[in-house]
Amino acid sequence: MRWVLKDEYDVVVVGAGPAGSMASYYASKNGAKTLLVEKSQEIGEPVRCAEAVPKLEEFNIPPSEEFVRSYIKGGYLIAPNGRRIEVRGGKTEGYVVERKIFDKYLAIRSARAGTKIAVKSRVVDLYPYEDGFKVKIIHLGEEYTVKTKIVIAADGMESSVAEMAGLKCKKNPMEVCSCAEYEMTGVKLLDKHMMEFYFGDLSPKGYAWIFPKGDTANVGLGVIDKKKKAIDYLNEFLEHPILEGRLKDATPVEFKCGGVPVGGPIEKTVDDNIMVVGDAAGQVSPLTGGGIYLAMSCGSIAGEVAGKAVKKGDYSKETLMEYERRWKERFYNTLMTELKYKNILQKLSEKELNIIAEVIDGKLEEVDVKKIMFKVIKKAPSLLKYFKDVIG
Amino acid sequence: MRINYERCGYCGACVGVCKSMAIELIENRVVIYEERCKRCKACIIVCPLKALEE
Repeated sequence: MRWVLKDEYDVVVVGAGPAGSMASYYASKNGAKTLLVEKSQEIGEPVRCAEAVPKLEEFNIPPSEEFVRSYIKGGYLIAPNGRRIEVRGGKTEGYVVERKIFDKYLAIRSARAGTKIAVKSRVVDLYPYEDGFKVKIIHLGEEYTVKTKIVIAADGMESSVAEMAGLKCKKNPMEVCSCAEYEMTGVKLLDKHMMEFYFGDLSPKGYAWIFPKGDTANVGLGVIDKKKKAIDYLNEFLEHPILEGRLKDATPVEFKCGGVPVGGPIEKTVDDNIMVVGDAAGQVSPLTGGGIYLAMSCGSIAGEVAGKAVKKGDYSKETLMEYERRWKERFYNTLMTELKYKNILQKLSEKELNIIAEVIDGKLEEVDVKKIMFKVIKKAPSLLKYFKDVIG
Repeated sequence: MRINYERCGYCGACVGVCKSMAIELIENRVVIYEERCKRCKACIIVCPLKALEE
């Protein structure tokens, strides 16, 4: 293993989550000599996620039995009074995967494209050096200095690597959802192909979820709360009357926790010789907290752009800006709109959530928030105060 | 800042909100560099498990 840390590279990707593995895959595919550095001794560990991923076909990844645990057709949005709204199809379709296996699968796929991987290897500093960076890495207590032209920071919620290079990507604590989750067996699901989302005081400024996962289910929640902790909300949720005893015979097989940045993307995702991708870049849906689709998409773009830059021999900010332009073109407006919707959702009282659920009444084909808003205002004009900024 | 290692779930949320780069997660051990800590308490707020205390 040590020899990979004694070499020089065109591209060093830090963090072997979905963003990093996709970025390194495309960098290697485009001919760049690429190193993927993972801090943990095992790729995919520890899991900090509810494990729902989008349809994978658009990434040319077959939904293999190896990691897919459940096929998801949609979800139930559940109001505080228990009223359910059913959403099916479109973006709600996907899979619940075993992230430990999924992440490792993506890393292996990247390795097959030529990426070298260093595990149990922690980046502790970056120094500008000629036209690139010297990356200081600690592996088994020994220090290595790896030279590279480009760094791709994919170090997730921790967001330290780009910060070392002077980019601002640390998050505001009031824009981070604190999450806690038990993976449980013996859960009585509403439907084994449907995700369940619970809104209201049981999980302030976030939501609670039950996601089917093969023989188990991920039961968790995310909150933003200065005083009370996610774990305390979770323990109450497990016994909440809204579940009508469906967790009575359930027992955990794993505990997971984590922080999800829901404040929208960071301002600068590119500088000379560096790009930031995934959670580190705040590429997370502020409304759902889902980050895997964005991480994989933006990681792919960053990898491709890195490959092109290496071919050109130009690693300047101007060249790497193609990455920022392209990811913003695809996702920026959606992220900013979702941010506005999230801010509204966080203000709604339980009573108001119940009104909205009543107005929608039953099924939704696709989550078209604008359509929903107009319907809601028509039936409950008192809620206009929340929506006027978004409509105007 | 004190860490209760019995409670910590080593998720790294505290690391992600520490603008002074005073916290690092090394495998499953959170390390605080006290000399860099500005006592902003962002880490305490964001911890899902109440593993950090002043």
